[in-house]
Amino acid sequence: MDNLNLAFLFLGGVAAFLSIAMLLAKNPIAAALSLLGIMLCTAGLYGMMQEHFIAAIQLVVYAGAVMVLFIFSIMLLNLKKEERDFKFTTPSFMATYTAGIVIFIGIIFQLLVHYDLFKSTMIPGPFNTAEVANLGGNTKVLAHALFSQYYLSFEVISLALLVAIIGAVVLAKRKFD
Amino acid sequence: MTLFDFIQMFAKMAVVVGLALSSVPFLVWFERRGSAWMQGRVGPNRVGPFGLLQSVADVLKLFLKESFIPGHVNKFFYLLAPAIALAAPLGALMVIPFGSHAMVMGQKVVLQIAQIDSGLIFLLAFAGLEVYPVILGGWASHNKYTVLGALRGSSQMVSYEIAMGMSILSMLVIYGTFNLQEMVAWQGDSWLGFIPTWGAFINPIGALIFFISIFAETNRLPFDLPEGDAEIVGGYHTEYGAMKFGMFFLAEYVAMVMASALISTLYFGGFNLLPGFGLLVSWVGGYTDGSPDALQNVKAAFEFVSILLKVGFFLFVFVWVRWTLPRFRFDQLMDLGWKVLFPLSFVNLLVVIFMSYFFVS
Repeated sequence: MDNLNLAFLFLGGVAAFLSIAMLLAKNPIAAALSLLGIMLCTAGLYGMMQEHFIAAIQLVVYAGAVMVLFIFSIMLLNLKKEERDFKFTTPSFMATYTAGIVIFIGIIFQLLVHYDLFKSTMIPGPFNTAEVANLGGNTKVLAHALFSQYYLSFEVISLALLVAIIGAVVLAKRKFD
Repeated sequence: MTLFDFIQMFAKMAVVVGLALSSVPFLVWFERRGSAWMQGRVGPNRVGPFGLLQSVADVLKLFLKESFIPGHVNKFFYLLAPAIALAAPLGALMVIPFGSHAMVMGQKVVLQIAQIDSGLIFLLAFAGLEVYPVILGGWASHNKYTVLGALRGSSQMVSYEIAMGMSILSMLVIYGTFNLQEMVAWQGDSWLGFIPTWGAFINPIGALIFFISIFAETNRLPFDLPEGDAEIVGGYHTEYGAMKFGMFFLAEYVAMVMASALISTLYFGGFNLLPGFGLLVSWVGGYTDGSPDALQNVKAAFEFVSILLKVGFFLFVFVWVRWTLPRFRFDQLMDLGWKVLFPLSFVNLLVVIFMSYFFVS
């Protein structure tokens, strides 16, 4: 087993553990921090795949910005009541967990049936490590792909974000007026 | 990974982490003596020569104190916060290049721990994690003062990250790379033979904004609002004692070292030889056997000295500013961040983009 697989098992295992911890955490801050841990593990996985740019972006965007915002809003809103009234036995929770477990087992089953995970060899795409290094590092390759081949989708996504920002402002304004 | 790779990686880590951590007692001593000197006092001068061992005694005291955990805190997060506080700036230090490369036993050793293509973003990522210990420590302590300190500290850090990011972005437009080694190489030229092409000379406003922002990011005076003896006691680390407080204290100074290394790499030529060091290199090089490897090693050693001197200078400035400027009020701090630095850095970014579009291409 090479380094990548070991790292995958370790980081993936920690991420899986933290996901369960996030679902079961009574305390909202603990849940948010578990999510932060999952983000960090994902960034570590990207890093092990030599995708340093994506790893760094994962850290900057999710760990550095999104999760700070989450934790900030949790700290500012007083969630004492939610924390006290949190129960695993309400019908909606039961339904959610059952659905989640069924979907999870389904995915695992399909994966095990169709891909012999630990035996099959991966078919490498056009961008292997040597090729990427040859083209000037993965940041450059990604930038070229993003701003030439996928330019339109990139712009459309930014437009969607703009719509979301304006929507948030409008909603907040209506409440305060 | 061969044994040689492993050893050189480990040696580089030991040097960087060791230097960053062992500079802290000296910095604390310098801060206290410097403040005394600026205020016409004597300062600590009893323990060891010039009081140099005072910080050692202080650290010893922090180590030997009882590690007391207040009963009302959230234990896990309370203990986690100081660990993150120290780990984040140390993690950021690993992408700072501290020399071009040395030749050891015929093999090339690049003097940078993690040679990452997108090193600058990596650095920003770790710098962004520095806000967590403030939030966590303040929240987990279950104390009004600590929560207020945490809110102040985190909002200050988040606000100034914007101005800092904008000024870094303007440098990225100029350098055209995320790779810190390439950035330093870019700054290696000189105009008219003696003015080095440092980022600060090309983009002075960006350098100034960045310089101001790192004071807020490291919670140093004049922006040390997360703490305030008269208002919120010790701020987010009020409930911490013994070495847990010591780790927050250590983290502040390691963050200062990191910020100084970052500003000297981005804006002040990084490990490029200081003006005049070229003569020294050739003088010392004359005493070696004259092989290219030995000359490269001498050059690498002086490059290391150069960046150390630059980092040392900025650490001195940190102390100098602390004992010269009065501290801001919180609303003034926010005004400066959002109404002055943010628009200024944005305009500066636009100017730099236009300039580089018309002059470089």
